[in-house]
Amino acid sequence: MKTAQEMKANSVALIDGHPWLIQKAEFTKSGRNSAIVKMKLKNLINGSKTETVYKADDKMEPVILDRKEVTLSYISGDDYVFMDPEYNSYELRAEDLESVLPFIEEGMTDVCEAVFFEGKVISVDLPTTIVRQVVYTETAARGDTSGKVMKPAKLRNGTEVKVADFVNIDDWIEIDTRDGSYKGRTQAPQA
Amino acid sequence: MASWDIFCSVVDNYGDIGVTWRLARQLAAEHGHHVRLWVDEPAAFVALCPQADARLKRQQVAGVEVCHWAADWQSEALADVVIEAFGCTLPEAQVAAMRAAARQPLWLNLEYLSAEDWVVGCHGLPSPQGQGLQKYFFFPGFVAGTGGVLRERELLARRRAFQADPAARRVFLAGLGITVQDQARLISLFAYENPGLGEWLDALAVDPQVTQLLVPRGRILGDLRQWLGEAGDLEPGFMAQRGNLQLQVLPFVSQDDYDRLLWCCDFNAVRGEDSFVRAQWAGRPLLWHIYPQEEGAHWEKLDAFLALYLQGLSPAAAQALHELWRAWNAGAGMGAAWVAARPHWPEWREHAEKWCAEQASRPDLAAALEQFYQESL
Repeated sequence: MKTAQEMKANSVALIDGHPWLIQKAEFTKSGRNSAIVKMKLKNLINGSKTETVYKADDKMEPVILDRKEVTLSYISGDDYVFMDPEYNSYELRAEDLESVLPFIEEGMTDVCEAVFFEGKVISVDLPTTIVRQVVYTETAARGDTSGKVMKPAKLRNGTEVKVADFVNIDDWIEIDTRDGSYKGRTQAPQA
Repeated sequence: MASWDIFCSVVDNYGDIGVTWRLARQLAAEHGHHVRLWVDEPAAFVALCPQADARLKRQQVAGVEVCHWAADWQSEALADVVIEAFGCTLPEAQVAAMRAAARQPLWLNLEYLSAEDWVVGCHGLPSPQGQGLQKYFFFPGFVAGTGGVLRERELLARRRAFQADPAARRVFLAGLGITVQDQARLISLFAYENPGLGEWLDALAVDPQVTQLLVPRGRILGDLRQWLGEAGDLEPGFMAQRGNLQLQVLPFVSQDDYDRLLWCCDFNAVRGEDSFVRAQWAGRPLLWHIYPQEEGAHWEKLDAFLALYLQGLSPAAAQALHELWRAWNAGAGMGAAWVAARPHWPEWREHAEKWCAEQASRPDLAAALEQFYQESL
């Protein structure tokens, strides 16, 4: 058993005998040091979806899932096609990728993990740290170099993230995919 | 009429039992339900309800069956609705009985009050507990889409009648040993330990207006004693004068008397959840000492409330009040913040009544729970 807090997006929990894919998990402190986790769940048997809340220390039964390394092949509308090293392709809908969708973009080279339940691909996990290019952000106004002052920046796929004030257009940045937070400025990934 | 079981575990203050006791009374009195309130620390309950007897395992008080939630708790006849207050863990025997029942009761986790945005998205959501047992999270709140806050049906009418009756006010205060000085500003103070108290008291002592500070017994008395330089504990009845500031320690009063105290005062410093809500219903300016949380999580909650509460005030007043509340909760800068807030007093006073009226236009917590129950049938 795991606590609700330990159950991350793209893991599967067995609830009342049904496997539920956790599409999104949001941890929040409620009051007096207690915490809750709001989850978006998808039933892997019948496809139904629901939202639930758990106390952070509630026990849940995780389902062991198969995983395989894949990379993004192409995007066609709401369809995302990934490929493994043996050139097997796996197609997922945007709704299946909710937790990682903001960081998926055409041409990305990240080695991801496709997640399988009973042989069927159900989602994809991104690496914890990814590198993306800023396509738009306002010019630094205050000349801050501490990295504490933040401003919005747009990525190639339109996702907006908060970055340090000194980040410029065309800069490459590292992002933590667990919470979408900016980690720092970096070099362009090698082709 | 339905039967309701409310489970309350007293953690470290009177907030949990304060809220659940009010809720239990209201569900019984206004909605006609049979309510059992299970409390694990009867002594804490008796502090709020002096007519109760902490030795009794079970007693009928104000239309509510108040029961001692002992460690060896045994399952009784299942109620129609079971509330675990503030995420307290229900007895295993209770959960087992619910699981085994042919018709499961409506199981609710009544959560803490928060003005944060995420509350709307979580209010009323299910929480599957295995073997078909379902729990729902019920969040109080200040905006549509939440469970509202506790407010008895006649509360505001009673409050306004009391505030319009100087004789009733005088008699009530006299009963607590308080004689109001001419033109004095009355302030009630109920707070956690706060290193910022001294700065505030310094400011009040030199304030051109006379202040009578009324301090019910509680955790702030240690800081008060230190500021006064008193050696011994401050007991109810203790009085002291410093400049234009007169201080008086009051006994820990019942919930009804605490309401009246809030109604009497021009300004109320409150803490936690229950007194915080009651001060809003008093329609007077207030200062909230929020329960401090790990990793400073309470700051977001404080700012979320202020973002709502300060709407409609002039920018200058909103900024002054924002800084005052933050200074109080930071435990520093209260002297300057108090002086800066003083010019905005008339606007704040008017705003407090508006806020009260606006909140009163929403369904109260007990009514929202009743509706949730009806919809579950």
